[in-house]
Amino acid sequence: MADLSVEICGVKFKNPVIGASGTVGFGREFNELYDIAKVGGISTKGMTLEPRLGNPVPRIAEGTSVILNAVGLQNPGVEHFIKCDLPFLKEKGVVIIANVAGKTLEDYGAICAKLDGLVDMVELNISCPNVKAGGMAFGIKPESILEVTKVSKKSLKKTPLIVKLSPNVESIAVNAKSAENGGADCISLVNTFTGMVIDIERRKPVIANNTGGVSGAGIKPIAVRMVYEASNAVKIPVIGMGGIMTGEDAIEFMMAGAKAVQVGTANFADPYAMPRIVEEMNFWLDNHNIKSVKEIIGTVALN
Amino acid sequence: MQDFLSTVKDNHPIAENIYMITLTLPEHIEEIHGGQFVNLATGDNSMLLRRPLGVCKLEGNDLSLCYQIKGKGTKKLTQAKSGDKLKVLLPLGNYFDLSNCKSVAVVGGGVGIFPLIATIRDNNGKDFYSYLGFRNKNAVCLLDEFNSCKKLTVTTDDGSYGERGNAVQAFLKDNPKVDAIISCGPPVMLKALKRELQERSIKIPCFVSLEERMGCGIGACIVCVCKTSNGGNARVCKDGPVFEINKVEL
Repeated sequence: MADLSVEICGVKFKNPVIGASGTVGFGREFNELYDIAKVGGISTKGMTLEPRLGNPVPRIAEGTSVILNAVGLQNPGVEHFIKCDLPFLKEKGVVIIANVAGKTLEDYGAICAKLDGLVDMVELNISCPNVKAGGMAFGIKPESILEVTKVSKKSLKKTPLIVKLSPNVESIAVNAKSAENGGADCISLVNTFTGMVIDIERRKPVIANNTGGVSGAGIKPIAVRMVYEASNAVKIPVIGMGGIMTGEDAIEFMMAGAKAVQVGTANFADPYAMPRIVEEMNFWLDNHNIKSVKEIIGTVALN
Repeated sequence: MQDFLSTVKDNHPIAENIYMITLTLPEHIEEIHGGQFVNLATGDNSMLLRRPLGVCKLEGNDLSLCYQIKGKGTKKLTQAKSGDKLKVLLPLGNYFDLSNCKSVAVVGGGVGIFPLIATIRDNNGKDFYSYLGFRNKNAVCLLDEFNSCKKLTVTTDDGSYGERGNAVQAFLKDNPKVDAIISCGPPVMLKALKRELQERSIKIPCFVSLEERMGCGIGACIVCVCKTSNGGNARVCKDGPVFEINKVEL
């Protein structure tokens, strides 16, 4: 049995597998299938200050080895999370990562302040919402990433800050550096790629929102490349994700430089994906006589 | 709720573009009720989403589901052969709870009849009055399953089988004295049923089973929502798929 534990920003994970935001809710549903404490951590559904109803349906579509979603940040609001879901997760003993989103810089500051000291980590979702002025997404331009990271970090006195990066950008390395410069303690990537699936019989996009975020096995090589580039651009830890379906996929991301991984779409294809991936990672490490998963982080050697 | 590796026992067409697949589960399951559904893998790993299918029959360890060929996933399912292994997560969602009813009107349209069949099987000894609607005679199937009903009226849009008309009209025309109405079918049928019940001030409790594109199937991803009459959202997979007709926007 290999040592699967990792430590990120002083937070100890029993294993490096984290449920990706938006795919595991607040952990309750998957806990009906298996003890959610088997996974290293849970990144919650993206939360906002006020409850949101999200987008019209259909919110999901499928392509070859990928899915698209456009849920539109439906969530019960951060206060509801603190009152109703946080106690459950605390009792379970998984690392709790609160994924948060806002419409304005002030929103980000305020929601981070509410969560400071209550959760293990805060993860900024800066891929969907728009800035008050100009309308450019926070997560695209390095300048706005710097700004939103600074504002959020200022509100977090006790809780480490993860900035989740969008892949729909010019340079992932530049944006990763921006998050680091803004005071991020960690970055996670990749969020979903913007895509579209058309129903050719109706000549209309399948998703009501027309476009959606592409995730799943089909995006993995792009995600691995981006995790590699980002890891080499910053000194802060990186959490990798994008199409991880197996333990070997997770190992690949860690070799690219990730200290931990998030698993999202795989939970839909296989509801037991996360505990299975933990077991598969252990199996691979044992087979290679590697004592600790920490030994493989960032060990890819370019040709 | 559990994920099983099931073995395909049988998979054959029962009407135009409609198949029944029977899966043998590796162990006996405690209970599964009419209205509940399963999340079935297609057998093609490049399809990351499972297909949510309503339960039609459970006999011993054999679970029968019916599906219409709608896209590449259901097309792939038609190729499943006896002996193939398919993963299936079940039971999911709530069900038609008829524990307080003696007599029930069943209003079903097209592929919506399958969860209603499971419900009739599930509630031995109750009086069912069934009104079914199909597009045409090629879509009519599994009528034997309604043999135990006190009454069965079959309609088709073009009159090629049974009466010309639809299930809602047939139900209203007959107007049976029942304790509850259960319904499943295309959105246009459910809308018409809701409108007619309101316009005619029919106060019989009415429960409908809804369909929506799903992600996880267990309530975590909030993809498959419907609008509730109090201005919120409900998850079709977890809070439903069965809802009281006045509590959801159709």
